[in-house]
Amino acid sequence: MKTRLFAVLSFIVVLSMVITGCAPAAAPAAQATAAPAASAEVDCTKADSFCVGLVTDVGKVDDKSFNQSAYEGLKKAEKELGATIKYIETTDSKDYGKNIATFAENGYKVIVTVGFALGEATIAAAKQYPDVKFIGVDQSQTDVIPNLSGIIFDEDKSGYLAGVLAGLMTKSNKVGGVFATDTIPPVWRFGEGYRAGVKSVNDKAEINIVYHNDVGLDKTFVDPEWGKTTANSMMDKGVDVIFSAGGKTGNGGLIAVAGKSTADKPIYAIGVDADQYYSVPEAQKVLLSSAMKDITPAVFDNIKAVKDGTYKGGNFVGPVFLAPFHDLDSAVSADIKAKLDEVSKGLKDGSIKTNVAPTKPG
Amino acid sequence: MDLKRSIFITIIVAFLYSIVILIGKDTTQPLIILTSMIATTISVATPLTLGALCGTFCERSGVTNIGIEGMMLSAAFFGWLTSIYLNTIYHVTPLPSLLIGVFVAILTGGLLGLLHAWLSVTFKVDQIISGTVINILATGVTGFLNRQLFFEKGSIFGGNVPHAPGTLPIIAIPGLSQIPVFGKVFEQQPIAWTAIILVFVANFVLFRTRWGLRTRAVGEHPRAADTVGINVSFMRYINVIIGGCLAGLGGAYFTLESVPSFEPLMTNGRGFISLAAMIFGNWTPLGAWAAALVFGAAQAFQINLQFFRDLIPPQWAFLQQSYIVGLTPYILTMIILAGLIGRTTSPAADGTPYEK
Repeated sequence: MKTRLFAVLSFIVVLSMVITGCAPAAAPAAQATAAPAASAEVDCTKADSFCVGLVTDVGKVDDKSFNQSAYEGLKKAEKELGATIKYIETTDSKDYGKNIATFAENGYKVIVTVGFALGEATIAAAKQYPDVKFIGVDQSQTDVIPNLSGIIFDEDKSGYLAGVLAGLMTKSNKVGGVFATDTIPPVWRFGEGYRAGVKSVNDKAEINIVYHNDVGLDKTFVDPEWGKTTANSMMDKGVDVIFSAGGKTGNGGLIAVAGKSTADKPIYAIGVDADQYYSVPEAQKVLLSSAMKDITPAVFDNIKAVKDGTYKGGNFVGPVFLAPFHDLDSAVSADIKAKLDEVSKGLKDGSIKTNVAPTKPG
Repeated sequence: MDLKRSIFITIIVAFLYSIVILIGKDTTQPLIILTSMIATTISVATPLTLGALCGTFCERSGVTNIGIEGMMLSAAFFGWLTSIYLNTIYHVTPLPSLLIGVFVAILTGGLLGLLHAWLSVTFKVDQIISGTVINILATGVTGFLNRQLFFEKGSIFGGNVPHAPGTLPIIAIPGLSQIPVFGKVFEQQPIAWTAIILVFVANFVLFRTRWGLRTRAVGEHPRAADTVGINVSFMRYINVIIGGCLAGLGGAYFTLESVPSFEPLMTNGRGFISLAAMIFGNWTPLGAWAAALVFGAAQAFQINLQFFRDLIPPQWAFLQQSYIVGLTPYILTMIILAGLIGRTTSPAADGTPYEK
């Protein structure tokens, strides 16, 4: 009896470890088989090779969010610049440094690290491997390191545009925002930029912004149930435009709006980061627009700069704008579109300021 | 559930609601706030209620179950997988695929319940370890399959997450849902309604039937039960499987009722909160439900306080710290567990395997 029990238990424990362990290990292997055979033979340590590696934040390259957008930039470089590309998906935040080092030790010329959370590991690696060019997405640089370019976005401007749109579209004069945690600066800038944007065009509007402040940072981005509950609670109180931002949590908010909106009392949603018309098809009929930060061209431009020899260390400010209105194009009046163009120009030339602090104060 | 505890819980919920109503009344009608908070409370409480019922059935029969989290997560995944598979590959219409999905979710929970019973009753494994095994297994299997099936090229869905068949439709109670404003409370989705019905069914079964009496006997004093001819192992097996099915239905809430998508780890610790709700409710279905509602009310409180953040008077500035507000349910649990509101008593043989 005892030995059988031991056998059963050890089997289950080993099985669960194998399965848990398989997930990350399976990814690069599958990628290697999917890549063209020719590029697999490229020796990255040779001087004439052009190898680009990408390290994800805890997440996958197909997350329909920032990891994927950055990887699209690499794929474009593969096609247009003939780069050899490969990625490592981080499963544990303690491995950031190790994953970056894997590429550096194998002679990769360019390493892209995705996400605010990899900032410190990237700075350390850039100092350790001065010959490798680093590109850090969402990583603001305070000191200029010649081989590290931090791609940053003015999320506050993107949020501001979403706010202007929401402020002009609302009929009930109540607008809402569902956000992941405000301790992540880009999320904070989206949220507060949005607040400023609504105020700038509609001072009567009541602005309800809710952040998902939970103890676990990761959790605040992968909790669609919370996003949906929160958005529902807002709509119950008459909110008729909701800006929903924060990974899967935000997607929950968009889906909630799609569930409550009716023909005679339309409720609108605004997505974030990428054009969510494509990433959340359930919300297409209520999705006004998305507050975009275009990671793909920013990553590509930086890789191209390395190839062309025009690469510079420091901060690289990527483009922000609103996605097309798609199905709701006719719901947005010409006046509103003109106003958005005007604000967009003003934000670009600096005549309009959002006055949002880069991180949450205190 | 005793009177003292019910009064305490009612006071807490009323207190949480009235703070928000007091703050928000200048811009929003109190009735609208109340309705919205009750609606949030009920939907947040649904998975917690089902999880706590699972715990109640298992522990009343003498088997500790900390694998509720894993049961819910696996059920959420397999239920969702089934519905999406039927919908995209066999073109089954949304509603039947969702209902079959719910069935598969319940089945998944039941099978994991069987595994738990097998390990802890037949093999007399330490029940905490068995529960932990289920949690680890669930995380690994769902994460791995989710990735293999949906994101790898050449898998059945071709590397794209297909369009999900949506969520279960809202069922409105005729008559009651026509009440202006407040009627919204009576518009809930099927699993939320089922959970409420199951609370009363479970209460009846556990305390008014011969089966319930036997279950409790096995959990309190298995030797005495055995002496009068009750099959202890059988009772424990069936109750743990019933518990698993309830947790499975709770899992279905996440992917088939709340949002039409699956995320790795999406249950986010709610299985463990269910356990706290079960203890809070003193191992009774009604108590567990009340406790789940307190957790739901605490979450409604947190969301709504942020909603009305600009209206919070300066002398209450600490309420603007949503982290502090988010702690409410946990602080309440500690107060209860510390024995301030009467003692909670677990079944006497809870967690101990029965040796003949």
